[in-house]
Amino acid sequence: MYYQAGMKKGFGSRSFDLFNILFMLVFSFLVLYPFWNQLVYSFNDGNDAARGGLYFWPRVISFDAYGFLFSNQRLAKGAVVSIMRVVVGTTTCLFCTGLLAYIVTIRSFSGRRFMRILFMITMYISGGLIPYYLLISRIGLINTFTVYWLPNLLNAYYMLLMASFIQELPESLMEAARIDGCTELKTYRKIVVPMSMPVYAAVAVYLSVEHWNSWFDCMIYNPSGEWDTLQVFLRRMLLEREAAAQATDQIVRNTRFNKVTPLTIRAATTMVVTIPIAVVYPFFQKYFVGGLTLGSVKG
Amino acid sequence: MYKINIEKSAGKIELPFLQRISRRFMKEKQLWMVCIPMIVFVLIFAYYPMYGVLVSFMDYIPGAPIIGSKWVGLKYFIEFFNSPDLEMIMRNTLAISGLNILFGFPAPIILALLLNELQNRHFKKVVQTVSYLPNFISWVVAASLIFTLFGSEGVINRLIQDMGLTEEPVGFLSTGKYFWWLITMANIWKGVGWSAIIYLSAMAGIDRELYQAGAVDGLGRFGMVWHITLPGISTTILLLWILRIGGILNAGFDQQLLIGNAMTREYWEVIDTYAYRYGIQLGRYSYATAVGLFKSVISILLIFVTNRASKKLAGASIF
Repeated sequence: MYYQAGMKKGFGSRSFDLFNILFMLVFSFLVLYPFWNQLVYSFNDGNDAARGGLYFWPRVISFDAYGFLFSNQRLAKGAVVSIMRVVVGTTTCLFCTGLLAYIVTIRSFSGRRFMRILFMITMYISGGLIPYYLLISRIGLINTFTVYWLPNLLNAYYMLLMASFIQELPESLMEAARIDGCTELKTYRKIVVPMSMPVYAAVAVYLSVEHWNSWFDCMIYNPSGEWDTLQVFLRRMLLEREAAAQATDQIVRNTRFNKVTPLTIRAATTMVVTIPIAVVYPFFQKYFVGGLTLGSVKG
Repeated sequence: MYKINIEKSAGKIELPFLQRISRRFMKEKQLWMVCIPMIVFVLIFAYYPMYGVLVSFMDYIPGAPIIGSKWVGLKYFIEFFNSPDLEMIMRNTLAISGLNILFGFPAPIILALLLNELQNRHFKKVVQTVSYLPNFISWVVAASLIFTLFGSEGVINRLIQDMGLTEEPVGFLSTGKYFWWLITMANIWKGVGWSAIIYLSAMAGIDRELYQAGAVDGLGRFGMVWHITLPGISTTILLLWILRIGGILNAGFDQQLLIGNAMTREYWEVIDTYAYRYGIQLGRYSYATAVGLFKSVISILLIFVTNRASKKLAGASIF
């Protein structure tokens, strides 16, 4: 480390280093083990898994839980809805919030401060869950796919995050575009969006993770189950364990996947929901960590 | 100011107010055309629910307009204060939040300090990447992992049985008294790596000359941490502390709904889940809105008080 260059390391310092590395190994193990354990369960024979004591490796390997899941219509539908939600929700919010962020950075625009404040207030004050729920049901968004993206089009936090980036772009570029006769929307699309890719990427990662992970709004705004996402699919298995057990018993009897139990099916579902995120997030680290620190520095 | 003076001296005639406004509007027509839908949007989705808070003072009937509902004053607030549930949900809220602050607040600071001391940059990077993973999964997945680990046939139960601590499996998920600890552990597991980022970036901003000066003055490694690194991030710590205290009534929501069950309700029902249960599940909109409003008002007061206090005592404030 930088401040130890030239310093002599005593015994205490060196044994601390050793302790620190051990600590980090144990810490990483504790973070990862629950996932590994779940993975082990998902690959184990269901009836054998019920005996317990599965630590690090499947005892009786079986792929039936995954076979059962991938032949399940409801899972397929949940996956489609989840992906649609991520794609539609992320792109629409990114475009609209980005446009708003651009607008609140145009120095010559008289409504700049007004717009900024109008949205910033919503960061600190909200009506709370119940009035919001009443609104959603009043305007007829219950049991629609629209409820996943429309109410989240403009986000004040992301507006600030993106605006603090767009502010740093050279003003002359936008000015030149305007003089050349670009409309504001065109200036936004042709100049601002391509130049702000790092912040767009950061917000896109946040938004996709949020959309992929959200379950509560699916549950309360889509009680019919027609637009269930993967998360809701998994949640049903969690909370309705008994009911799920009976239902799966019936289904299982009619399929060729007979080595599954609710436990192993749940484990496999958990893995299906987790793996896309676990595979993708290390590659986007640069963006989301950048976004986080940018947001904290600029307030 | 300078510009206006020039214009005046050039003999320009001041236009009437309305005309000036409309000229300006015509010039910025395009921008306003984009802004107007945005304003409408935010009025509907953010400001209308704020207005909707009024139903907590009314006998609101779903479907009826808010304006015409019967005004009942503080009826629902009084009902909440006299409710037998009040003590239970306040106890749970404060206990879960308190444990979260007591253990969950220092945890990322300690992790960041230790990560900062790692010599090997690649190793540090790998550990950090690993530590973010739980932050990116949903609480549904986290709950599923917890069910598997702590279930009666799960690894934890098997481990303590093998160690001879108990004969029968312990019902971690079905016994109320374990719930607070379970949720504290889950919260730390999920958030510690991510929360450490902000402290690490504060540490990266500390002037390196301070460390050189410290070395000249004969500070050892632990002295450096104590006298330079910790004071260097103390403002960050304080600001996050204010936010944490201000949010003391936010004891979590997803966690409770997903990990808790009917058997442990006595120990997990917090203000937010209570408002949700009464409002959306039982349809008592006015009552639930009153509960939510009570919580918001206390939260705002708390954040003002802690902010004022830290401004006075330490000179740091969030606004």
